Amino acid sequence: EDALLRAPQNISILSTNMKHFLTWSPVIVRGETVRYSVEFQGEYEREYANGSWIPICECSFITATVCNITEDVSATVAYNLRVRADVGTRRSKWGTLKGFFNPITTSLTPPLMKVIADGYHLLVELEDMGPAFQFCVLYWKKGQESRMQQKMVKEVSFVVHLDTMEAGPDYCVKARTYLEVINRSSNFSQPQCVRAQGARSVWL
Amino acid sequence: SVTEVRSGFTAIKANIQGRDPIRTLSILSYPHSLHKVQSSDRCCIAHHLFNFYVDKVFKHCKTEDSYINRKVSSIANSFLSMKRKLEHCHEKNKCICRQESTEKFNQILANYEGLNVTSAAIKSLGELDILLDWMEKSP
Repeated sequence: EDALLRAPQNISILSTNMKHFLTWSPVIVRGETVRYSVEFQGEYEREYANGSWIPICECSFITATVCNITEDVSATVAYNLRVRADVGTRRSKWGTLKGFFNPITTSLTPPLMKVIADGYHLLVELEDMGPAFQFCVLYWKKGQESRMQQKMVKEVSFVVHLDTMEAGPDYCVKARTYLEVINRSSNFSQPQCVRAQGARSVWL
Repeated sequence: SVTEVRSGFTAIKANIQGRDPIRTLSILSYPHSLHKVQSSDRCCIAHHLFNFYVDKVFKHCKTEDSYINRKVSSIANSFLSMKRKLEHCHEKNKCICRQESTEKFNQILANYEGLNVTSAAIKSLGELDILLDWMEKSP
């Protein structure tokens, strides 16, 4: 008599910068290919649609143990997620994520950043993380941390002009991500410092 | 947020509007456009409309197409999130409903109930861009 197919275990979410992935441990059946299917349920489905579940067709009968749920889990409400396994005609029970997942808990990372000294112009190039992302950029003359200046960058154009530098001192820049829809920021990036180009100081 | 709803709706707009055979009627814009609502009534109308879509419309928009159903779910959950935020204003009396806005909303309900429920729901869903344009238009 066929042994019962075990439901997927260790179901968890990896969520960074509003990109969300559901992962689980593989169900091992010697000599067989196990396939998995994922469904989600938002707060709306729980409260207004009789607790219905919605399948994610890109993650139906897949062999991978990860599913990109970003497109479906897009509102800032609490979501339930579940996975089940299939081998031939055998089907497991659903394994359900412990607790809810709300996208507001996503972890935010600082942007990749490149600071450029273009002659006497202090420029910064920021990673394009998507339309919802804004950046807080701080810049200062090295040694004058108390006189830090700030610039909010709402749209990532190619390069952002921060300041016109004096010849001689280093200028430092650091940035962090801000997501208005969840009103949260990342940590700041490591500072990057540059010096005005063509600024031949008499002492060098 | 409105941006999420807009992107979700844009993905299914042509399909949903294609399912609405009744071209001569509007749920949101008959007889007067939403854009005629006075700014003092905006919060009340928005509050009513969020409740209207969450309570009445989305549940009747299930289709045979799983992609459409997923996008409707995404929109419905975003509406629920916005509805929650507006409820705070309503509870703190910052969302006063004057007679004019109540009448305007009652007209929308009458338009909705004048059709069979599935047609009314699909038409209301298809008119989301009217609502989104109005919401994004600053008072």
